Amino acid sequence: MATTRLDLLDPAEVARLGGIEIVAQGVVEGFLAGLHRSPFRGFSVEFTEHRAYQPGDEPRYLDWKILARSDRLFVKQFEEETNLRAMILVDSSRSMAWRGAEDRLTKRAYADRLAAALALILLRQRDATGLVTFDAAVRQVVPARVKAGQWTRLVRGLLETPDGGGTAAEGALRHVTSLLARRGLVVLISDLLFDRDLALTALRYLRHRGHQVIVFHVMDRAEMELTGPPEVRFRDPESTASVVVRPRELARAYAVTVQREIAAWRSACRRHGVMYHHVQTDMPFGLALRLLA
Amino acid sequence: MIFLHPLVLLGLAAAAIPALLHLFERRRPPEAEFPPVRYLSEAERQSARRLKLRHLLLLLLRTTLIVLVVLAAARPLVRARARGAGGAHEPTALVVILDNSPSAGVVGDGRPVLERLRAAARASLAGARPEDRVWLLLADGVVRQGTGPGLVAAVESVAVSSRRLDLRAAVEQAGRIVDAEPLPAREVHVLSDLQRTALGEGRAGVPRGVRVLALAPFGAPPPNWGIGAAQVVGGAVTVNAVGTPGAGPRAVTVRLRGRTVGRALAAPGSAVSVTLPALGQGWWVGDAALDPDELRADDHRPFAWHIGPPARVRAGADVGPFVAAALAVLREGARVAEGSEITVGGRPGAGSSVVFPPADRALLGEANRALAARGGSWRFGGPGTPGTISAPRLGGLNGVAVMRREQIERVSGGGERGASGDSAILAAVNGEPWLVRDSNLVLLGSRLDTAWTALPATTGFVPFVDALVNRLARGEGVVSSEEGPVHVEFRSRGADTVEATVYGPDPRESDLTPASPDLVEQTLGARMLDDTQFAAARFAGTRRADVSGTLLVLALLVAIAELGLATLGD
Repeated sequence: MATTRLDLLDPAEVARLGGIEIVAQGVVEGFLAGLHRSPFRGFSVEFTEHRAYQPGDEPRYLDWKILARSDRLFVKQFEEETNLRAMILVDSSRSMAWRGAEDRLTKRAYADRLAAALALILLRQRDATGLVTFDAAVRQVVPARVKAGQWTRLVRGLLETPDGGGTAAEGALRHVTSLLARRGLVVLISDLLFDRDLALTALRYLRHRGHQVIVFHVMDRAEMELTGPPEVRFRDPESTASVVVRPRELARAYAVTVQREIAAWRSACRRHGVMYHHVQTDMPFGLALRLLA
Repeated sequence: MIFLHPLVLLGLAAAAIPALLHLFERRRPPEAEFPPVRYLSEAERQSARRLKLRHLLLLLLRTTLIVLVVLAAARPLVRARARGAGGAHEPTALVVILDNSPSAGVVGDGRPVLERLRAAARASLAGARPEDRVWLLLADGVVRQGTGPGLVAAVESVAVSSRRLDLRAAVEQAGRIVDAEPLPAREVHVLSDLQRTALGEGRAGVPRGVRVLALAPFGAPPPNWGIGAAQVVGGAVTVNAVGTPGAGPRAVTVRLRGRTVGRALAAPGSAVSVTLPALGQGWWVGDAALDPDELRADDHRPFAWHIGPPARVRAGADVGPFVAAALAVLREGARVAEGSEITVGGRPGAGSSVVFPPADRALLGEANRALAARGGSWRFGGPGTPGTISAPRLGGLNGVAVMRREQIERVSGGGERGASGDSAILAAVNGEPWLVRDSNLVLLGSRLDTAWTALPATTGFVPFVDALVNRLARGEGVVSSEEGPVHVEFRSRGADTVEATVYGPDPRESDLTPASPDLVEQTLGARMLDDTQFAAARFAGTRRADVSGTLLVLALLVAIAELGLATLGD
């Protein structure tokens, strides 16, 4: 029944059903029931191609059958032998603890539940999954594992990370590099309210290391449109910065600026081979996960 | 620019409210957390110039709106450019001269002239504002002060007066009144038929800064005939016809006790004599009348005369040739007879006496002693200055030159100067007594000789001598003329009627010929304006248009612009 598909319900309503585990499991059940195949492909010990032997190649990779048939030297090439290693990076800065209305989840709560659901999907595919939470610094690190109880550890890691202060994503991203020795999947869930150039440098570095990178740009609907009293002083929760504006007269310019920022992120990510997805906290989790399909 | 309510301008301080509110609001806006402040800063940075301009415009519009509303409430008056434009005017001192003299009763185009003058007066007074000082001056010479509406009511009740209005004197008086007022503007409105004869002599002394406006007469007046005077002399009544110069003769009918006793033709400016029937002794009243015309007030005039026994006169040796000749004429007409009832000469007789100063001044003392012996309370004094005779009750003497005279002065302890008991000053020269009746003594300040006075050379000399011996010396009054409603009044002493006064309009009122614009300008210092010009010129020197309506319209436009700019938002 459609009503049991928690992945398609309003995130705030789903969140009222219980903690992160219950919500994530419910979402994943509904999500997977609606898919024909897993959205993620793991690595297997599968042959991929031949190439001409070159001096220095391991003699053990020589294809003896071809040598016997054609008297030519070819070596076999294989994919990674291990499963996917994924690291989920959740922004726990103070700006993520904000919501535009009482009936919506904070960006952090939404990110936590999305991360938990994503981790559950990956672990069910036997992919090693880890977690990094960060604000101005890295707060929690759960190394990528596939063993039993990993998901519980991940969820605990999310729960035990308090709302932090400022944001410096590039540090967390670089830290992930050290955690993922082999090529893997990196999922960044954040409101991206930090220096774009620095973050993109780190993302580019991850891509350079061969990692697949996915960015979830989480925003509250109230951040898309500027509303409020005739005149108001808006204060940045992560800094002392504040600005006095008249929302009515600045609304259009603000909306244009936000759309330009989103477009800039999307464009920069595409340019560097990073998958970018913009999600709002009132978007059902299933739809957010489906963006990866 | 002036303001009707200048105190309201204090409200201009409210123009600072938008700026103050702006500053106040900027200081204490509500606070809220908003993570994407960096986006806000970026949006504000990019819109800064536009927002700054918009804020400045809003501030200007709001300040302008308050200023406009306050200015409108203060009722600003600006000098009006167009003539005849409506609007208010600066506080003005205004005298409206409404000439309701007898000539204003003439009917032109089926409508009395006075009605038109009243309408003009109403318009002038209705245009007055509460800040103005307003007076109304009528032919009676009384200046009425009041408010515009109050004087409009007075104008409604104004009727044709029997008194003549000297416009020159009236304008002079009005000029003095308005000049005494410390107001920015002063005007005199002359609403009159502007008879040439009403302008008087010379130029009215109008103070500088006083605007005098004269309403032009409405069309040419109709020709008019009137009776200026009727006087009985020697058994005949002499009727003086007055009116429009050049008008043809008209029939004059003389009636006595309702019976026509004679008719004659007389043209304006001429006199006719109608013989009266033989009548017994006593006072008689007759009436000289013309056929009715457009001005009824002067169409008839009564006359009165007394018939008594001829005075028995004894002339002294020093009376001179003129008196002697006059007495001879009167004797021939049986107006006097020889006798000792009345003595005429340089010394009083035993009975009634007419005494004039002796030709030789050395004899003045003797004459005075004789007067004192008679118990007289007047005597001859030193030589008086030459002048003209002023005798309100003896019409024929007025204006006659006196070249030489002796002063007539009251004897010390003789009571007040002027009329006292049986004493009366009948004529004066330079304000000093010239002809005095003291009981049965009549004193003259000059000898009746052309070396002393021009009187013997005038046509009124014989009637004067007649009155002198037949009435004045006998203690009887003369028949005098006064300006007023047409009627006759008698004055009695004891059981005897001694004097009669015939009332009627001033003869000058009968000449309706209007003055030329040049003469009006020259005499009154006034521009002669037709109705339209007059209406436009009222208060035009200081007329100001009330621009509060325009300011309110501007304020409305500014409010709409402000609303549009404010709600347009981004």
